[in-house]
Amino acid sequence: MSEDRILLELKSVTKSFGSVTVLEDINLAVHDGEFITILGPSGSGKTTILRMIGGFTAPSGGEILLDDGDITAVPINRRPFNTVFQDYALFPHLTVARNVGYGLTVRGVPQGERRRRVAEALDLVQLGDLADRYPAQLSGGQRQRVALARAIICEPRLILLDEPLAALDVELRKQMQLFLKKIQREIKTTFLFVTHDQEEAIAMADRICVMNFGRVLQIGSPHEVYYRPSSEFVARFFGDNNLIQGRLADGDRTRRRIDTPIGPLVCAVDGQPEVAGAPAGRQAFAVFRPETVAVGRGGAAENACMGDVMAVGFGGATTLTEVALSTANGPIGIRVKTTSRVDGAQVTSGDRVVLNWSAEDCRLVLA
Amino acid sequence: MTRNKTATIALSTVTGFVVVILYGPIFVPIVSSFFTVKRGTVTWDEPTLAAYSALTRNEGVLEALRNTLIVGVLAVVLSLALGTLLAFYYHSGRSRGREFLQLVVFLPFLMPPIITGLSLLIFFREIDFSRSLVTVVIGHTAFVLALVYRTVLVRLQSLSRSLIEASYDLGASGLQTFRYVLLPNLSSAMIGAAVLAFALSFDETMITLLVTGTENTLPIRLWAMMRLGFTPDINALVALILLFTTVLCLAAARHLMPQGAAGREG
Amino acid sequence: MRRRVAGLPLDVTAAGTWRSAVAVVAYAVPIGFILVPLTSFLVYSFFWVEGGQMRFSLTLLNYQRFFTDDIFLPVFWRTLFLCLKVAGLAIGFGYPVAYLLAGLEGRKKYSFAMLLVVPLLMSYVIKIYAIRSILGGNGFLNQALLALGLIDQPLTFFVFNLNAVLLTLTALLIPFAILPIFLSLERIPRSLLEASADLGASSAQTFVKVILPLSLPGLVAAGTFVFVLAIGDFLTPQMVGGQSGFTFGRIIYSQFGMAFNWPFGAALSVVLAAVVVGAIAAGALFGNRRDEQR
Repeated sequence: MSEDRILLELKSVTKSFGSVTVLEDINLAVHDGEFITILGPSGSGKTTILRMIGGFTAPSGGEILLDDGDITAVPINRRPFNTVFQDYALFPHLTVARNVGYGLTVRGVPQGERRRRVAEALDLVQLGDLADRYPAQLSGGQRQRVALARAIICEPRLILLDEPLAALDVELRKQMQLFLKKIQREIKTTFLFVTHDQEEAIAMADRICVMNFGRVLQIGSPHEVYYRPSSEFVARFFGDNNLIQGRLADGDRTRRRIDTPIGPLVCAVDGQPEVAGAPAGRQAFAVFRPETVAVGRGGAAENACMGDVMAVGFGGATTLTEVALSTANGPIGIRVKTTSRVDGAQVTSGDRVVLNWSAEDCRLVLA
Repeated sequence: MTRNKTATIALSTVTGFVVVILYGPIFVPIVSSFFTVKRGTVTWDEPTLAAYSALTRNEGVLEALRNTLIVGVLAVVLSLALGTLLAFYYHSGRSRGREFLQLVVFLPFLMPPIITGLSLLIFFREIDFSRSLVTVVIGHTAFVLALVYRTVLVRLQSLSRSLIEASYDLGASGLQTFRYVLLPNLSSAMIGAAVLAFALSFDETMITLLVTGTENTLPIRLWAMMRLGFTPDINALVALILLFTTVLCLAAARHLMPQGAAGREG
Repeated sequence: MRRRVAGLPLDVTAAGTWRSAVAVVAYAVPIGFILVPLTSFLVYSFFWVEGGQMRFSLTLLNYQRFFTDDIFLPVFWRTLFLCLKVAGLAIGFGYPVAYLLAGLEGRKKYSFAMLLVVPLLMSYVIKIYAIRSILGGNGFLNQALLALGLIDQPLTFFVFNLNAVLLTLTALLIPFAILPIFLSLERIPRSLLEASADLGASSAQTFVKVILPLSLPGLVAAGTFVFVLAIGDFLTPQMVGGQSGFTFGRIIYSQFGMAFNWPFGAALSVVLAAVVVGAIAAGALFGNRRDEQR
């Protein structure tokens, strides 16, 4: 499957600026044809990775391999990659058409072919009739698409996108997310997308590489990082989540018990051998999503507990309920997310409720 | 912001007075150029263009004018080339050497011209380089270099770094980046600086006095004529020069204005 | 050096040589034509002239002479104070004009600014000559005063003395005072003036308490600028100073002319340069202190 062929690899890459280490021991393999997102908060080093791949910065250590060849020393203009910059970097003195055709111009592509390919690229991003405008005359979203067309036209092996949607407003951003995904599928080029917005990452990526403090924390599909986080940071990073700390008890290859202040919980550990094999008594978190918790007496649910409703927050499509469970050391809060009910028949503050969720929905993260 | 009547009147009076002071020395020669001058005084009842035609016959002045133009063009070309190179060098990194270099470039502009002129005079004498229009060109270039350098540097710094990165990213070499991206965005600043530099060189007197040999530039010639007294065609020359430099500076102002005000992007 | 890695050509060394060449030229020319002459000029000030011959040994004779001979030091102080007066007058006249300019809007502002710049484009030498002739016995000023009946005899104290130098320099340098003041006035946010009015201050109070203090840096810059320009000008005193209007600049110039004592002239110029550097530094220090107060 070409999806699994490795196109680009970062091996033990580090980066320091003077005494400040920005990236530590980065190992990342980018598959041919995939849409991979590097996700992390500001300062996590995600942009530095992109700039190193593009050639704008050199790594302090480690190597960057393209098709198994070391390209660490290859200068920017020789790498078969193109970048969509955060500020779009459109040349203000050139028209849209000349901006898009720039890569072809410097390569000496003859005018006729250049015109044809520019027209094609502009059609692809649906900007055909703006070819003779200047960047200053375009809206943010239009400039974004010009930057994209300019990167695509050179048929690079990899397109690097540096938080390109950060400057757009919410509605436009959502549209562009779908648009970029669609384009990527059409031209079948590998996209490496950097962002700090976790919703954006989940919406667009084939795989997400989560980073913090210069380290890679987890690489996996959106589904994996959302439902099977491998660290506390990743567990908290996406959406709302419940984390209950406790000590690992006994278990087997598919199930593990954990003793928590709110009682023993049963968690699924299939596909996570390091958790299944961790010694008993080890500190860990039981992690389960608010939307997987049901209110009321459940049937075969392995996990159940009782508590008092502290707050009910209507959020439109969903309602977020905070339930307090009393423990020896004070109350622990659990969040429950349910589809809002039009008839308004739901729990209110002060109600005593039973919560239940299955072991499948409950995962473990080592502390 | 409201201002009361008395303040406005006072301000306007002072301003009017200042404008008279500024324009008095200008009007007198220019207006005089259109009248005959007998024994040093203007006869206001005999308008004529004789001064202007006499000008075309004044060999000394015309030759001085020619020299001034040659020196101006050469000084501008040299200072543009060098100033642009220095701006790129300064912009390409940070170091104490660069700060020192920038200070050296600024010195001839900050110091009184007499010092720049004298130091070059002494220098040329010590290396046995005879004074001529060449030394004048060197002196003028040293003087206007700071202006050209600073103008180009400021524009260079205002260009977003990502533009250069984008150019490389799309496959351009250094030379192509300079030609296709940097030069077009710097050109208006360079032209504006060139025009201003030319205007400065055109009128430069103090340095030129000290480092010139036997050749005259126009200011030197005028200075020499100061002692002997002026012929009427000088008034005509002055009027024409003023017209020329005014047009030149209006052109410079157009080029140095931010793109938004008068460019096609606006 | 061409290697191929992952199918890509690898040009590593070409950029390096370009960069070194640029650096060499960048340093060579300014150092060669600015720094070296200035240094040789400084060194010259330590040489001396004996019996019409240059002696190339180092000595402080020139500086000594400057401080001890009773001609030079007084002229130096006189010139210094003269230029301070010029600066003061230029600021005094320039501030109202800058203030008016700052208060204009749009086209009017631009046109008026152009109006103030045009006089600078006039030949410097011609301007001095024109002022001299205006101030002179047959000049415009006297003719006007006679015609108005204010005087019966032409006044002669306007030309060929220090007064003339003062007046001429002021007239020439007012535009240079206007610009820095104007720029600092422009930088005052409108909202501050509105706030002052909102809190009950009259326009006079607003001026004294808000505008004036905030435009002080521009004032200082203008004063420094005019002072430096004035003190370095040897053309104006030469033309309108006559016998009694001898300034420091003229003395320096004469060392390279009639007096033919280049080392001494260099020494005097070093003194001049020191004054200029001092003035610029003082102005900059004031500017920095101001910024810290903000």
